[in-house]
Amino acid sequence: MNGSNITPHILRFIGLVAVQSLLLNQMTDSVGAYFNVLLYPLFILFLPLQLPAPYLVILGCAIGMAVDAFVPSWGVHASAGAFSGVMRGLSLMPFAPKGGFSAKDPIFSPVHMGWQTFLQGAGLFLALHIFWFFSVSYFAPVFAWEIVKKTAAAWILTMIFVALYSAMFNPKR
Amino acid sequence: MGKLLQLLLRNGGFVTFLMVELGCFAIIVNFNTRQGEIWANTTGIFGGRALEKRQMASDYFSLYEKTDSLARIVDSLQARLSNARIMQVSIRDTFFRVNYDSLSRTDSVRRKTIRPQYEFVTARVIKNSIAGANNWLVINRGSVDGIQPDMAVVSAVGIVGIVRHVGVNYSLVMSVLHRQAKISVALPNQKNAFGSLTWEGGDPSEMTLRYIPQHFVVNNDEPVVTSGYSLMFPQGHPVGKVKGSPKTDPENPYFLEIKVGLTQDMSSLREVAVVRNLFKAELDSLQTKIIPNER
Repeated sequence: MNGSNITPHILRFIGLVAVQSLLLNQMTDSVGAYFNVLLYPLFILFLPLQLPAPYLVILGCAIGMAVDAFVPSWGVHASAGAFSGVMRGLSLMPFAPKGGFSAKDPIFSPVHMGWQTFLQGAGLFLALHIFWFFSVSYFAPVFAWEIVKKTAAAWILTMIFVALYSAMFNPKR
Repeated sequence: MGKLLQLLLRNGGFVTFLMVELGCFAIIVNFNTRQGEIWANTTGIFGGRALEKRQMASDYFSLYEKTDSLARIVDSLQARLSNARIMQVSIRDTFFRVNYDSLSRTDSVRRKTIRPQYEFVTARVIKNSIAGANNWLVINRGSVDGIQPDMAVVSAVGIVGIVRHVGVNYSLVMSVLHRQAKISVALPNQKNAFGSLTWEGGDPSEMTLRYIPQHFVVNNDEPVVTSGYSLMFPQGHPVGKVKGSPKTDPENPYFLEIKVGLTQDMSSLREVAVVRNLFKAELDSLQTKIIPNER
């Protein structure tokens, strides 16, 4: 990533942390416990496809920590971010073209992948992220059913917001 | 730091993920109340089990001593139980003495059987400390075994501590080697010599007996037993022996300060018994009625 390529990611980082912390988390507090929208993983999803996994893990952890600092839920979002970083490659693998992603596909966005593939890939990626997030939040297998219910509710809401975000900003790089 | 980062990047995402998650995990359990409590409970349960397994392994190599120790406990308890069951006390009935003066109607003595006051639940010490300023033990008996806070813990040869916190399967016992532990003891060779036994730190084989008045002549090696004046320890259980000559208590010159060598070696505790006072609830209930008015 050269200087001009980094800028959109930095802006996305700041914007998503702000929206997640100042808007979406507040909505959870006011609307109810089942209203959870986790939009900040889009930062990890929209990182360059050629970026090595260790960078994804560290950057995922970084954005999670930034969100944690506002909530505060020390380490929970950071853990989920790191998990998403390591799982991004695996979750997008089924949606990669033959021969894998090339330099022509800088990021996994609707512009490069098409809406259907994007929503499928983003759906799987976010499902894993949300499930891990609630698993770490509840931290005990005795809450398994609650984790599944909240994951399902949060995934549906998050996918709506992801579609809106992608339609509004239509990220290209 | 830079070299460490390079190492992580070279070895792939999964290793980086594991290391980052380890850090996150530490942060989560240390800075979040709920996760911290769940983690503490989980480690408590598994830690207790692991300690017990380790203890079982080491116990295997000292089976002879264990059997011997258990046999002595069983003997001791059996004797106590038998004595309690057969013990009878004569009560002279002065009110009906005119009516009960005939031998055919027995004499004017009624006999009343004393019920046993204490039950003993054997337990195994799975964790013990003697080196701290305040020491604790963990025993493998909990609420499922009928253990409750404030029950005394004894061994066959001495006193061990007082149950403070009770889990389902394990209990935390405040050792007699704890600065807050005060045991009411007596000198059976003296008449009405009762005092309070405390640990002042340092030597784990020695405690200090106070509040024995100056007029008692206390000798070296004189036995010390529990007084029975607390609701926890049964009367007459061995505690230790007087060590050396008593001195004047510097804090209260009307009383003696007596060093007591414990008969139970606190560093080699294995089998113990938790003492259940069967009348504790009744006695507690009576005390709550008396104390507010008397104080």
